[in-house]
This record gives sequence, C-alpha cells and structure tokens, in this order.
Amino acid sequence: MGLAVAAFIPGVALACLAAEMIWQAYPSIRDNGTSFFTGHVFAISSGYSGTASFGILPLLWGTLISSLIALAIALPVAVGGAILLVERIPKRLQGPLSVFLELLAGIPSVVFGLWGVFTFGPLLSRDIYKPISKLGLPWLSSGVTPNGSGMLTASLVLCVMIIPIIASTTRELLRSVPQTSKEGAVALGLNGSEAVRVVTLPFVRTGVIAAAFLGWGRALGETIAVLLISNNNANGYPHSIFAGFTTMAATIAQDLDTALTVPAALHALAEVGLVLLAVTLITNFIGRLIAQRFGGGAGLPVGRGV
Amino acid sequence: MIPFAVAAAVALGACGSSSSSSSTTGATTATTAGSGGSSATTTGGGGNSGASAQVGNPSSDVTLNESGSSLLYPFLQTLVAPIKSAYSNVTLVPAAGGSGKGIADATAGTSQMGGSDAYLTPAELSAGTLLNVPIAVSAQDVFVNLPGVTGLKLDGSVLSQIYQGKITKWNDSAIAALNSGVSLPSTAIYPLHRSDSSGDTFLFTSFLSKTDTSGWGSSSGPEFGTTVKWPSVSNALTASGNPGMVQTCKATPGCVAYIGISAQNTAEAAGLQLASLQDQAGDYVTATPTTINNAVANSTSNVPANLAASLIYASGSMSYPIVNFEYIVVKKTQPDANTALAIRDFLTFAISTSGASTSALLAPQHFEALPTSVVPKVNTAIASIAG
Amino acid sequence: MSTAVVEPEVGGLPGEPRANSGGAARKNRDRLTWGLCGLAFLLIVSPAISILISVFHQAAPDFSLSMFTKTTADTSGLSNAILGTLLLLLGVLIVAGTIGVAAGIWLAEFAPPRLGGVLRFLSEVLSGSPSIVIGYVGYVALVTSFHWGYGLLPAVLALSTLVLPYVVKTTEVAMRQVPSALREASEALGLFRATAVARIILPPAIPGIVSGLIIALAISTGETAPLLFTANFSNNNPTFHLFHHSLGYLTAVTFNDISQPNTPGHNYAAQGAAAAAVTLVILIVLIALGRVVSARSRRATARMSL
Repeated sequence: MGLAVAAFIPGVALACLAAEMIWQAYPSIRDNGTSFFTGHVFAISSGYSGTASFGILPLLWGTLISSLIALAIALPVAVGGAILLVERIPKRLQGPLSVFLELLAGIPSVVFGLWGVFTFGPLLSRDIYKPISKLGLPWLSSGVTPNGSGMLTASLVLCVMIIPIIASTTRELLRSVPQTSKEGAVALGLNGSEAVRVVTLPFVRTGVIAAAFLGWGRALGETIAVLLISNNNANGYPHSIFAGFTTMAATIAQDLDTALTVPAALHALAEVGLVLLAVTLITNFIGRLIAQRFGGGAGLPVGRGV
Repeated sequence: MIPFAVAAAVALGACGSSSSSSSTTGATTATTAGSGGSSATTTGGGGNSGASAQVGNPSSDVTLNESGSSLLYPFLQTLVAPIKSAYSNVTLVPAAGGSGKGIADATAGTSQMGGSDAYLTPAELSAGTLLNVPIAVSAQDVFVNLPGVTGLKLDGSVLSQIYQGKITKWNDSAIAALNSGVSLPSTAIYPLHRSDSSGDTFLFTSFLSKTDTSGWGSSSGPEFGTTVKWPSVSNALTASGNPGMVQTCKATPGCVAYIGISAQNTAEAAGLQLASLQDQAGDYVTATPTTINNAVANSTSNVPANLAASLIYASGSMSYPIVNFEYIVVKKTQPDANTALAIRDFLTFAISTSGASTSALLAPQHFEALPTSVVPKVNTAIASIAG
Repeated sequence: MSTAVVEPEVGGLPGEPRANSGGAARKNRDRLTWGLCGLAFLLIVSPAISILISVFHQAAPDFSLSMFTKTTADTSGLSNAILGTLLLLLGVLIVAGTIGVAAGIWLAEFAPPRLGGVLRFLSEVLSGSPSIVIGYVGYVALVTSFHWGYGLLPAVLALSTLVLPYVVKTTEVAMRQVPSALREASEALGLFRATAVARIILPPAIPGIVSGLIIALAISTGETAPLLFTANFSNNNPTFHLFHHSLGYLTAVTFNDISQPNTPGHNYAAQGAAAAAVTLVILIVLIALGRVVSARSRRATARMSL
C-alpha cells in the first residue's frame, strides 16, 4: 500500500544520509587514521602550497565547550522561568506569555546571528568584556573584539536558542503534576517554593533532563548563528573565553566551497560531519531513552532538533 | 535520497543538464552577429593575434551564470548590458561568493564561468579540464583604520609580522622605522583576513610569501593559497567578501585589511586610509595606473601558455607589488555548442578594446587592460573552448 | 500543665500567602527562590523582546510596499526572496506533507507493532541530524554527483528531509488521540479498515495534522544552512525550473547582507533586517494559525469525548 511505502521513507532517507557521509568520509578515515583524532590543527589546503592538517580536536573542543556553557546557563534559567510561569502567573496570562517561548523557538538562527552581531555582541563587548579584560585574570584578558564576536558571545546566543526547548517541555511537565500531590504538600505546611522543590521537581526531573539532552543536541548542531558570531580567526585553540573559536558545524559550512576542488579536504569535512552526526544522534538518543524509560508524566512535545 | 526521486533523477537529470538551450547545435560561424550590433573582433591589439575564436550570436538563449571573485564581481555587473546588446541571445548573470567558490562552481558545472583572482592549482592545471582565461589586470590595496595618520608606509615583512602577531601595536619600532616623522598612536593592531575561500587572500599571502621568504613563505609558514593556516593571533578578525572587509575594518579602529582595488572607492568612502607598500626597488607606491602597468610590464614577459602567471612583487621601480590577472575559469569542453559559443563571445568581448576593455568600463574599478603581449595567448585559449 | 495550641497551617495552593508559613529563614528562602525564578523568566522574555525590537528597528528604513515589487538588486526590494521562500514552503508542503502524513497514518493505524516501532525510531533519529550535514549531502550528492546544479528540487528535498520526522510524529500523535471507541464502532459496523480510517478516524485528526504541517513550515522558513548549498542565491524572481536555476530566499538575504557595508543607494543592513523582519512576520502568522487550529481541535475533542 502506498501509505506503507511512505512510512519507510524517513528510514531510507536516514540510511542514504549516513551512507553518503560514510562513503565521502572513507578516504579521509583511511588516509588520516588516528591523527585525525589527535591533531591540534584543522586547516585545509587550497591546493597551491603548504600541506593541510586535519586534526579535529579544536573543533570538538569548541563544539563541546560552547554547547556546555550554553546548557549550563540555559537549564536553570529555563526551569526557573517555567516554574514561575506555571506556579505563580495567573492562568489567563499564561497563554499570552507563552507566546514568547514559541517565538524564541521559531526565530531562525540567522536572525539570532544578526541580533548577536549588531545588538547583543556589541553590548556585551562594551559593557562587560572590556571592563573584565582590564582585570588581567587568566582566560579573561584578551580577544575582546568591538562587536563582541567570540566564544562567550556565541555560547550565550546558543543558550538563548535552546532555552525554549527546555522551558516549554518543563512547562508541559509542570502542568501535568497531579494536583493531589501539591495539596498534600500544602497540608504538610510547606510554603510555595518548598512544595516545588520537594514535590514538583522530582516529578518532572527525568523529563527535564531528557529535554536538556535535546537542547544540547540542538546546540551541538547549530551552524549559522555560530558562523556569524564566532570570529574563527585561527586554526587552534582560543586562549581566552572572549576569543575566536570554531565548531564542527561552522567549519563544514565555511570550508565546503573550497573543499570541492580539493578532494582531501572534501573527505576530511565529511569525516567531521560524520563525527558531528554521531555526537548529535547519540545525544538525542540518550535524551529520548531517558524520556521513555524513566519519564512518567507528559510526553515530550515536538521540538526542533537543530 | 528518496527512492522514486532517484529513478526520476536519472530521467530528469538528462533534461536538467543543459540549462536552457535546445538540442540543436546551430552555432553560426560567421564573425559578425546576425542581430544586435557588431560582434567583437578577434584581434585584441596589434601584432600576432593568436588563434581566432569563432564568435557569433547563439541560435537560442544562453544564460551564462558566473560566480566567484568579489574583486571581479563589480566589473562583471557593468558588463551585463553591453554583452546583451552585442549578442542578444547571451545573458550574463554574475554573482560573488569568493574565488574558491567560483572555481568550485565551474568545476561542478553549477556555474558556466567562475571568477577568480587566483590562477588554477597545479593539480587542476595538470588535470587539463579547466582553463583560466585572464580578462583584465587588477590590484589589491592595504587599508588601515587609523584616523589622523595619512600616508602610512608598510612593507611585506612588517605586514607578515603583524599577521603573525609579532607586532601588536601601531607605534611599534618596526613600523616607526618605515614612517619617520609620522606620529603613530599606541592603538592595538587588529589584522583582518578573509574567512571565505578568497582570491584576495591568495594575492596577499603570495605577497607575504615573496617578501618574507624565510618566515611566511617558508615551508613551515602559512605560505599562500585561497585559504591558508592563519597564525593564531588573539586580535585577528575575519570577514567575508571585499565589502565585508570594508565593513569590519570601518567598525574596528586600529585594523589593517587587504581589500581588492574594485572596492577602493567604498573603502575610502568608509573613512579608511590607504597605505603605500614597498616594491622590490625600494619605492613606496600605491596602486595607480602607472604603478600597475609598470608591474605588468616587468612581470609578463614569460607568461606560460596555460596563462597561470603571478604578477606579485614585480621588479623595477615604481611597480606596485600586488597586481594580478583577473581570471574567468571555464571548462574546455562545454555541454553543448551554443554554450561554448556564448562563452567565447563573452570572453572575446571582455578583452576586446571595442568591447569591455575600455577605460569607460575598466577605470571605475581601477582595473587595467591586458598587456598586448598576452592577448594572443588568451585568444588561443578562448579558441580552444568547444562544445 | 498547659499545652500550647499549635496553629494548624491551612491555606490554599502553593504560592498563595498564608498566615504562618514558617520561620523567617524559610520565608526568606521562599522569597529568594521566587525572586530567582522571576529573574529567570525575565531572562527568557528580554532576548525575545530585544530581538523583535532590534530587527524591526533596523528594518524600518527599508519597509515599504516596494518590498513586494522590486527584487533584492534594489535596496528596498525583496520580491524574489519572498517568492522564493513561499515557493520553497509550497514544495515542502507537497513533498514532506504528503509523505509525512501518509507515513504517520500508516504508523498509527496499520503498522505491525515491532516494524512500526523500528520505523518510528528511525524517524526520530533522523530528526536529530544537524542541518549542515543535510546541506553537505545535498550539495555533494544532488547538486554535484547527480548534476542537478543549484535548484528548486535539491533545496526542497533537503528541507523536506529536515522536517519530515516532525510531520510523521505529529500526524501519528493526532491519529492516536482519536478515541478508540470510533475505531471499535466502525469495526462493529463492518467497514473495511481503509474506509474506516479515511472516513471516520482521519477527519477528527485533521487539526492535529495541520498543526504538524504548520510546524514544518515554520522550521522551513527559518532554515539557511541546507539551502545555502542547494539553492545558492539569485537576484531574479524564481521560476518553476527544478534544476540549474538558483533561487533567492529570505534567510539568505539576511545572511549575505550582514557583512555588507552600506553604499550610497543601497542600504544593505536595512535590507537584511527587512528580510529578517518578513521572516518573523511569516513566523508569527504561522504561530497564530497554529494556535487557532489547536483551539478548534481542543473544542472538537471535548465535544467528541464519549
């Protein structure tokens, strides 16, 4: 039946995607071997002179650090905001205020990049980075650019992008906490925040953790916003939290044009893409596994994966 | 990727491969166009003119998609109307994106022509499927954002050290040594480089390689290319495209940037200051028609038949050190005769003194015409494009 | 011996002020917690407001009716970008819409349990792939290897691959939410399964399916990375050619114009922001549409509870 064929298509598309990536990456896997995973420089050669180095460590590092900073800030902010929305704000205002969450969830990454370059970055650079960099602390003293582009700004923009995923999931989970549990807490004499801490949070904990993994998955794969605000100015590790850096996704987007005429570079980028695909798929998989195994309550609403 | 699409692709791909022309091969071999003005002549200047290319109005509409160099892009934009009135069936659609993208698009066939400030790589030249055809001479400026400092003098080794992070402030002694009598501020230096795959990067790094042979140009240094391993400099910034370089440099006091000469007016209007560079003979020069043509005269005596020639750091006095050919990269064998004819029409038009190689079109971009010594070889190359 | 009377702590639900909610320390912790939650909520709302304000403020000089009549070659024109985005949305609706809805229906009604589980899992795994990987495969396979060039079809296929899992999942969820009493009744009446699905079970699920399609359209409006490598960009109004014809779209205008300086006669910053503003307007319209649809579906489901 035609409907059955349609149901196989996502699986087939996934298989084609993985197959093409593996096919393109194979020459790089074969030629670069383990030095791909131990090398500290990722620089393609444009074919005129010099040798290329394909070491994924700076990319992995940049991807992980920026996404972890984003998650570390997004998690408490999203959960705290959702708790306020559900527990304190009157029901008739909850709908209109939730619009901000839906809006943030839908804003395109290029608009986040635009905002980061013209509004958020310069504000941070002028009012926060410059004063801090004058203090001379390690990791906080160099790399400040006038438009704020660099690792910290990129991480903060990523943070704003993944907050909606965590917040809207938390909001749904909070709404599904049984009323009787909350009333029991009141009967025992707990005040508002204590009731949340003792009764509500444990109930939603696994769902929130699952949503955090999904949000982390989105931050790992984000390309355009990072490309615009990351100031990828060197092939190496940043020496300051304000300095330029790069991620796996941004590197692929940036180097793909050159790579088509330099086969070694094309295959190396495919290998980077394969690693990125594996990392994001594993993160998503863990998140959904946690939701299925341990999550009671409401299921995860559909959220953006990238 | 979708099963039925794979099957459809085979069928549709056959239709999709020729973008707009019919399957007829009726290319006229007359050297005068049937309609819409005279065709370009096949001689670009005096002397031996090389093999003459067949030109003429194609029998059906051909769209020539071009992409690539942001240095060449403004010039090509001004050619859209003239080529249309010379050959009514030829439509030029230029785009930017960086020289690397131009070469990639020409290789993949997504554009019929790729614009590039860099000649093809040794591997591409030996593979033999692509041609790089020069159509004009251009140059590259170095601009700084130092309000109040006029007439800054820089040389290749100082620039090399700036881009390696070894010189970090404008009042460094190495810069002061070149600029006696000029009071330099203690602003930090922000070296700006291109993030996209760029012919301008190729030109600038070629210049650094030739002037700093033991450092930048050594095998342990970044050397040259459309992308290079930029040294890790904490104040370095990146930008995309020549307009992006102007934009970012304007917003960053203390920045130094390499900018293609077709963006010179934009850069000056943005308030950036032009620096003069030291040539091989020791003079400090900026890019003017005289200094550019001196450089061309001193470096084009031995242009190879494949036209891949570097005009960087030419000898002779008052020779501007960063000068280059602007190339159009095309496949030697086109999918059909009409496209090949349209490309030959465009290229012949571009180098002809009655076509695009006029001061009216070249001067606004600060380009110069090809030297007459090179034109015969260019004609031979154009004639070899076939479908 | 007198026994002190302990005031019972009664009151309303958590959060409501009460007479005696514990000692000063507990009260202060309570206030601190709610204060932090309030701060978190503000941290969620302020970026959304800041983005809206900064985008529309930057776009203001270019906002005029000529946006719809002139192309991006002109400073205040966006017609080719708007038409291109709408054309892409139509393509996604046709491709991902039909395949996704068909797949969702089959998975909900006809799939054998284990096979259905596997296909569902593969679809969710696909939803986690980064958009740049889909862009890479689209470029290397469709644009280059298949010689399709930049065009409408590679772009639509890339976008559809990205949003297909969302359509599948929301369709399946919508179908499952139809009360099983309807299924049992139609079986009791002797209807063929296919007729039952088409005539009885599908209609109430339609609002949920439409919400899923709206999500897919919202994601497609904002995507940039896969389109950069499959549709490239063009200043001309789009045609219906499937291959070898680049087309413009709104997010690329924003992306390209971020790094252009304003020349006299062409205000790139405003044009890029105007494209971002139009993208946001389309997004807001889709969000509003989604809310209308889900409100109607909630009313319909309430009516339907048996």
